[in-house]
Amino acid sequence: MSVTGFFTDSTLCIGCKACEVACKEWNQIPDDGFLWSGLSYDNTIELSASTWRHVQFLERSLPVAGARRRESAAWEFHSDVCKHCENAGCLEACPTGSIVRTEFGGVYIQPDVCNGCGYCVVSCPFGVPDRNPSDGRVFKCTFCYDRQRGGLEPACAKACPTGSIAFGPLETLHDRALRRLEELGEQGIRDASIYDASEGSVGGIHAFSLVRGDPRAYNLPPAPEIPTVHLKTAWRSAAAGALFLLAACAAAFAGTRR
Amino acid sequence: MRIRRADERSERRLEELREQAWRAGRVEAPGVRPSGAPFPKATAETGYYGLPLLKPPTWTWEVPLYFFAGGAAGAASVIAAVSRRRDPGLSRDARFLSAVGAAVSPLLLVSDLGRPARFLNMLRVFKPQSPMSVGAWTLVFFSSASTAAALADLAEERGVAPRLARVLGPPAGLAAAASGLVMATYTGVLVGATAIPVWSESVPLLPVHFAASGLATAGALLELAGNRSRALNRVGLAAAAVETGIGAALEASRRPALEPAKKGWSGRVVRAGGLLSGPLPLALRLLFPRSKRARRFAAASSVIGSLLTRAGWVAAGRVSAKDPRVPLKLPTEID
Amino acid sequence: MPGLGTSFGRGGATTAQQDLANSDAILIMGSSMAEAHPVGFQWVVEARERGATVIHADPRFSRTSAMADLWVPLRAGSDIVFLGAMINYVLDNGREFRDYVVPYTNAATILRDDLKDTEDLDGLFSGWDPEKKAYSPETWDYRGSPSKKGKAAGHHEATGGHSKDRGGEADELSVFERDPTLEHPRCVFQVLRRHFSRYTPEMVEKLCGVPREKFLEVAEKFTAASGPEKTAAICYAVGWTQHSVGVQIIRTASILQLLLGNIGRPGGGILALRGHASIQGSTDIPTLYDILPGYLPMPTFGEDSKSLAAFIQKHRSRTGWWANFDKYLVSLLKAYYDDAATPDNEFGFSWLPRTAGDHSHLGYWLDMADGKLEGLFVFGQNPAVGAPNAGFERKAMAKLQWLVVREMVETETAAFWREIDVPPEEIDTEVFLFPAAGHAEKNGTFTNTQRLLQWREKAVDPPGDARSETWFIYHLGRRLKERAARERRPRNAGLNALWWDYRTEGRHQEPDVEQILQEINGWTVADRELVSGFADLKADGSTACGCWIYSGVFPELGNNRANGREPAGPYGHGWGFAWPADRRILYNRASARPDGRPWSERKKLVWWDAEKEEWTGHDTPDFAKKKRPGYKPKKKAEGDDALSGTDPFLMHPDGVGWIWVPSGLKDGPLPTHYEPLESPVENALYPRQQSNPAADRKERPGNAYGSAVDDGRFPHVLTTYRLTEHHTAGGMSRPLSHLAELAPELFCEISPELAREIRIRHGDWVTISTARASVEARALVTERIRPLDLAGRRVEQVALPYHFGPIGLVTGDVVNDLVAISEEPNVRIMEAKAMTCRVERSGGTARSDGGGA
Repeated sequence: MSVTGFFTDSTLCIGCKACEVACKEWNQIPDDGFLWSGLSYDNTIELSASTWRHVQFLERSLPVAGARRRESAAWEFHSDVCKHCENAGCLEACPTGSIVRTEFGGVYIQPDVCNGCGYCVVSCPFGVPDRNPSDGRVFKCTFCYDRQRGGLEPACAKACPTGSIAFGPLETLHDRALRRLEELGEQGIRDASIYDASEGSVGGIHAFSLVRGDPRAYNLPPAPEIPTVHLKTAWRSAAAGALFLLAACAAAFAGTRR
Repeated sequence: MRIRRADERSERRLEELREQAWRAGRVEAPGVRPSGAPFPKATAETGYYGLPLLKPPTWTWEVPLYFFAGGAAGAASVIAAVSRRRDPGLSRDARFLSAVGAAVSPLLLVSDLGRPARFLNMLRVFKPQSPMSVGAWTLVFFSSASTAAALADLAEERGVAPRLARVLGPPAGLAAAASGLVMATYTGVLVGATAIPVWSESVPLLPVHFAASGLATAGALLELAGNRSRALNRVGLAAAAVETGIGAALEASRRPALEPAKKGWSGRVVRAGGLLSGPLPLALRLLFPRSKRARRFAAASSVIGSLLTRAGWVAAGRVSAKDPRVPLKLPTEID
Repeated sequence: MPGLGTSFGRGGATTAQQDLANSDAILIMGSSMAEAHPVGFQWVVEARERGATVIHADPRFSRTSAMADLWVPLRAGSDIVFLGAMINYVLDNGREFRDYVVPYTNAATILRDDLKDTEDLDGLFSGWDPEKKAYSPETWDYRGSPSKKGKAAGHHEATGGHSKDRGGEADELSVFERDPTLEHPRCVFQVLRRHFSRYTPEMVEKLCGVPREKFLEVAEKFTAASGPEKTAAICYAVGWTQHSVGVQIIRTASILQLLLGNIGRPGGGILALRGHASIQGSTDIPTLYDILPGYLPMPTFGEDSKSLAAFIQKHRSRTGWWANFDKYLVSLLKAYYDDAATPDNEFGFSWLPRTAGDHSHLGYWLDMADGKLEGLFVFGQNPAVGAPNAGFERKAMAKLQWLVVREMVETETAAFWREIDVPPEEIDTEVFLFPAAGHAEKNGTFTNTQRLLQWREKAVDPPGDARSETWFIYHLGRRLKERAARERRPRNAGLNALWWDYRTEGRHQEPDVEQILQEINGWTVADRELVSGFADLKADGSTACGCWIYSGVFPELGNNRANGREPAGPYGHGWGFAWPADRRILYNRASARPDGRPWSERKKLVWWDAEKEEWTGHDTPDFAKKKRPGYKPKKKAEGDDALSGTDPFLMHPDGVGWIWVPSGLKDGPLPTHYEPLESPVENALYPRQQSNPAADRKERPGNAYGSAVDDGRFPHVLTTYRLTEHHTAGGMSRPLSHLAELAPELFCEISPELAREIRIRHGDWVTISTARASVEARALVTERIRPLDLAGRRVEQVALPYHFGPIGLVTGDVVNDLVAISEEPNVRIMEAKAMTCRVERSGGTARSDGGGA
């Protein structure tokens, strides 16, 4: 079984939100409420316990006349999802062993094990896992583990009409992304980049994207870290603290006589 | 979910500029950031509409209370072990304090879980890379040891199975102390090794901070319970000194990620806790070493300070999670 | 549909969505294809990836514009100016594809001397009767063509336009003269040139608000992508049809595509993007009052409908494919009446109902408002939200005696009595709400925008009492027949004669839909053998066929071609069935030269195989398979035999594409720019004809208009549009949480300039008002909608999605309350895409910010 991934090419996205709906329909996820955000056409706002695919909408000022091909694009769409990190903060943090790496390489929260301790929620540098307050457990994209086991592609990839969400073996997707970048360059688009968090402790993400402009406009952090990078320092400090505790007590009681 | 409005300040500034231009024909003044507009924007300067990038901690009041209680309990068992020979009375009190903390802690943690009935799932695996896993197991171990140690003392006093008590007591006490050291410090690791910027950027400080805080609380509670041992004063002094140092280090740092621990309502709580844990008890204990009242004040201050500190840091975490500028490495707003 | 029907011969998209991937340029106008046809849009994206230029002309920058190379903001309602200027550009610069235009269109045909063009009559054609407000089209005929007696077909007051989809039932248009050099001053080409001579880039700037450089860029790119080696396509949707000049807008595009030689060619054509999943089907087997299945006209009470023979004489053309008209009509009658239809009773022709007036939706709804309608069935439609002047329509419903609604949820139509200002005690309507089965709960077909029939298999039983349409109609019909059998009156003759012995199955006695599809396909009456296609149909009553254009979908038992799921070849033959006869690209004979060779290797589609002596290629040839390219018809030949081997538009009596429509359209043989019925500006091209003279404003209390020009109360242009997130009138999206949450409130897109002018901030509540009503919406201030500069005059445009109503998980005001009831002359469609309005901050405090979080 090869490791699979998502390559989300936002230059092909038409902002139709079929991915959001397909995901919710397949996984029977509840709605997020019915409040208008006023943020362009994005009323979903963020990934959460009840949204596992989130289409982002970015309006840019229209350029002046005389723009070359495709520079008149002033509305970008990008379908955000759990990154399924190669080194996943949530997975390392989970104390119950609920979060596991599946045979497809995805990061999966076993809903029958999760007890809602919430530690994964604060361990994700992308802010993905989210606790459902009425259910108690934490939820996120499952990478359609059930569908993949049945030999099917994830619901969002299946629904996407333009192939913006490409699903397949991770290696193939990487090649495809690189070729796409070249293609775009040939079309005169030079502000696109592949966001895959490969330089850093996260070690790459299995759900990576191609976006135009600065990824930060999509709330994609420039240098995400898996929080385990802090463990060494943290435990050292803990040792120092313990040492202090012991030494302080020992010193304090050294000169005591009852 | 609040509707995102236009960037009010830049809009007002634009109006001012227009007025000026209309009146004077030219304007020589700072302008506005180009990301301001009559409608919300998603840019490299604002992030995605300024929406939070991270998720805030789900923990409610039980968790800071647990940090407080568990840390004190852990430190208490160390005090109990170190003072066993020199001050058996104090040691016994410390064991009881530790056992109380050890009893309360699991209840608090289980209550905070989204699915409390599944608390035992914490013991399905042991993952050393997860501070929470380490903590869960430590808690089990510590609670058992600490309770056993306290029961041993109780049994000896009441004359119930005295020999068993004498045999089990010392190893229980040692085990409690050893695991108590972890109890008092690991929560700093737990909080620091996360993606929340105010926490992860305080990672060298937090475990020491929590250790000192736990020690101060344990000693202070024993003092407030009536124990007048001078060792406790020294312990309190040492802890307060460390707390003061940590507070100073925090204040001295200019890093924007640490703002929630200093500014805003969460910052106020952390600072208040810091003052009550550090400079105040330090001053009181140093300047009035013989005054009973001063010591009581110092003790009370330390206890309240410790509570506020834990609450403050968790609150700061919540605030920190909501600020996308740090993980996005955005410049702060111009003033 | 008549726009395409009269121009080419069939009222349907000439191409398939998949074929857009072969285009070198795509113009999307009057449509936001990415939002309304997202799945089909993938082939536009593919075309773009292959290097095609995608142009989107639209008042708002939508998700479609985001994927286009060029967005052309233009004023809603100015489409004919823009397209007419493109025609002018082609003619001025000699960019027409001559080798195509001369043989394959009527550009060379000579017109009559007594014809007067809009250039002669200040915006009118000859034949206008100002009293009747209608044209007599005799002067539009080809010179030398003898007229048929009586009223020109297609110009009857009662009929709507869809019978014109056949393009030329009319007159003896097979007799005419031509000038292949296109120089003759009365030839179509020259008349066309003169007609559009004032549609200049400057006029575009003045009336559309498009800077001339931008217009020229579009014109250049689109024309450069046409010719033997390249093809360009045009996609349009209701942004073109819902205008008082809707049909003529489509006609302008048709003329442009004929001049550029794009029709019938891969990557070319005109893709009519229809308004929902099976609307094509609902005009093919129509729910329209003026046509019978297969675009046969419905009889009226005129002379031509007094006998079958007269009817056939009127509507059959001697030449071209419509020479088979009688075969299709008689076969249809046999399908209806089976054995009861005999030659003696004219196959039951007298039992067919006759149209007596305007029985279109708007026509009968106005009758309803006047208390003339007793009852109404509403199936799968929500006019209380979706119809123009929806508030007026809701109130009108209170005049009904009874209302039957079949729906999956209680829509605003079923609950109209709660939503109007009349106290329920004063409403006499008895409302019946029947639960309807969903599309996965019944067997049947959809016919999508590219004429493709796709069978759907029932997956589950509908819950509880919910039933399918076929069940309802069948059992209702059965009961009516039982009653008619007891009450044998002349008026029940049709019911008594109606053949209704469909098989049923299951415990609910669900009709066998496959049998119905077989009847639609057709069979020989004697032995019920399925026919293989419409070529097998006869006029002698030996065949029956429910819809001749679908014939061939079920050629033998066990072979339901609509259920084919094994596509092969570049056009997906084997997946579904495209009418007619599974031709995916219509008029594809035109993809080859007159001599039968493809125009180019790159754009080969269908060509003549000299060895096998037949037409072959990537698509089913839309041509007689064995007709040689060099075939010349004999003098007295009839039907298809009267057309030569170079006549690709075989539905027309002269076999060519119609740049000039000699008959069939009520508002002119050529498109002419008229302003929308409410406009901020004067018609600069024809100051004496502000709006379409043949359009019917239906002005009356409750259906008021602002002034035709520049009403100070309503200074802005208003248009309505669709979101991907919702579905038409919201009945199928507002009750579903996963869709409702995507777009939970009604909002109004306005420009930052307008926002500043009326002092509102993004997110505020604004009130949008027209002469009909006011609605409230959140203001979505965005740069995607722009004020236009119409030669110095700044005009703001305002856009609203129309999906909301008072019922559902998400609710909002009904935007269609703002729209007027008006009728375009040919199809009687309302003008929902261009009107005038004003926008202001809502009175009182702005409502809350949407709750806490």
